[in-house]
Amino acid sequence: MAASAEMALVKPISKFCSRTLEFGSPRTRAIPFSYSKFTAIKMSATSSQSPPKPSKNANKASIKETLLTPRFYTTDFDEMETLFNTEINKNLNQAEFEALLQEFKTDYNQTHFVRNKEFKEAADKMQGALREIFVEFLERSCTAEFSGFLLYKELGRRLKKTNPVVAEIFSLMSRDEARHAGFLNKGLSDFNLALDLGFLTKARKYTFFKPKFIFYATYLSEKIGYWRYITIYRHLKANPEFQCYPIFKYFENWCQDENRHGDFFSALLKAQPQFLNDWKAKLWSRFFCLSVYVTMYLNDCQRTAFYEGIGLNTKEFDMHVIIETNRTTARIFPAVPDVENPEFKRKLDRMVEINEKLIAVGETNDLPLVKNLKRIPLAAALVSEILAAYLMPPIESGSVDFAEFEPQLVY
Amino acid sequence: MLGTVSLVMGSSSAAVATSTHFPALKSLPTSRIGHHNHFPTLSFPFVLPSTSIFTSSFLSSPLSSLSSPFNTAIAAVNSDSADKQESNKYYFLVANAKFMLDEEEHFKELLFERLRNFSERNKEQNFWLVIEPKFLDKFPNITKRLRRPAVALVSTDSTWITFMKLRLDRVLAESYEANSIEEALASTPTNLEFEKPENWVAPYSKYEYGWWEAFLPPATKAEAKV
Repeated sequence: MAASAEMALVKPISKFCSRTLEFGSPRTRAIPFSYSKFTAIKMSATSSQSPPKPSKNANKASIKETLLTPRFYTTDFDEMETLFNTEINKNLNQAEFEALLQEFKTDYNQTHFVRNKEFKEAADKMQGALREIFVEFLERSCTAEFSGFLLYKELGRRLKKTNPVVAEIFSLMSRDEARHAGFLNKGLSDFNLALDLGFLTKARKYTFFKPKFIFYATYLSEKIGYWRYITIYRHLKANPEFQCYPIFKYFENWCQDENRHGDFFSALLKAQPQFLNDWKAKLWSRFFCLSVYVTMYLNDCQRTAFYEGIGLNTKEFDMHVIIETNRTTARIFPAVPDVENPEFKRKLDRMVEINEKLIAVGETNDLPLVKNLKRIPLAAALVSEILAAYLMPPIESGSVDFAEFEPQLVY
Repeated sequence: MLGTVSLVMGSSSAAVATSTHFPALKSLPTSRIGHHNHFPTLSFPFVLPSTSIFTSSFLSSPLSSLSSPFNTAIAAVNSDSADKQESNKYYFLVANAKFMLDEEEHFKELLFERLRNFSERNKEQNFWLVIEPKFLDKFPNITKRLRRPAVALVSTDSTWITFMKLRLDRVLAESYEANSIEEALASTPTNLEFEKPENWVAPYSKYEYGWWEAFLPPATKAEAKV
């Protein structure tokens, strides 16, 4: 979600500001989830670094905040209310919202998230490094879903008066997020852990994003989440020998929720054409796409153990997800980066190299000041690489309901 | 570092300004959820069909009220959409077959999800895929912009078609009336062939050719087998 944009660029860099173990613990990645929604939600339960305690009372993972700890998101609710006030904004395409509402009410996954005994058995079989990877994966994913729940829930509450349809959709999306978070937290119980979500809610800092940025970033997070899930699902279906924990079997239906959530943000953007139809919108669109893609690539490359653990080649997996997400996003954003240009991947790979050097600096025994001085040229190199990627010729895109190229289109 | 990076990203300086971290707004659900510090291992309520998402022990007040309405709402929605539409009116989205059946793999997932949902709830199927539909002859403005062979998604549920238009985007939408379902879904027999993608980089293979047969109108299915 909004996180992505911001954290995106933060992550590789500020890594060094946090303790390596915390943030950089080189495994997992909050798989789909951290991108799927409130991206970059980072968390590290201390217990993931130590052997899980069997005692039920001692099993709450305590959470350490680092510079990059998971954040929850909040926005300008008054502005949101104005944007979706049907009396002020007559252009709102209520038909699309009503259609979405029907889809969400149908509740396709109402009976999907039912566990079986395979979970506990699989968890018990997992030991050592793999176990740690999975615990971190579950924690981060759960937090990410939960933060989605909080934001959507609040939006559902706040928009009730001005636009009951939009409000109800938000509430139903928070239902999905709660369900996903609950399922993941159940997964943690297989490892004798649990996230204290009540504590999280109180203890987390909330990051503020203006509605427009919430739309871009959340759209991308939901769609990239869909592509990550479905890719993992289809890969594991074809290669069941890597199916080491049954949660992946639920991804096919699960990610349809993500995809629908993305559709809703698509409809929200279409209802606010000012966020889609000028040069600023194009610059922002490219900025958010790039932020999300770069973040994911750098992050995942730091956690190749997870992907390799489930039989994927991290970089190939990421490029596939980036390309597909970009194609999807081109149905709504007015401009997207040209990620299929081979130069784009070359740039990403150079960013990974620089990022690795940056991490290496952080791991030396130098004085903090020396470390910081060593980081300067590397950070500058990373920034210039990102900037160069941003300035690559983009692809003009957009929904056919708006796009200038529509009349030439052959369907 | 964030500032630096964001600043060089074109016009993003506004983002820097707006992304400053504020503490949680008071009105956020903190207070509502905050008092549940007792989260046991299974803290988050688990979803079972009967209990629905939120057990009251988890989220008090507004949320718990969500649970039952969801279940009942389903029935209401379904009957609504069936009632409000005249049975002889059909809504469709159309595009070339390559787009509909070969490229948009999420489309296949959505259709199967819906089919599963209809069977779980004993609803009669009201959506079909029609290859080279005969009804297109009535729409010269569509056919002149359409690559062939074309495939249409047809349904009696206009609300759902609106959603599918939002999802697929690159499709043309219209509606028509027909006296019988056979007439509505009549198609011209066509052989579909899709070239293999030049550069298939996904870590899985494409959905199998022919996945759409489950959605062809009953008569066409029989023909297809011959």
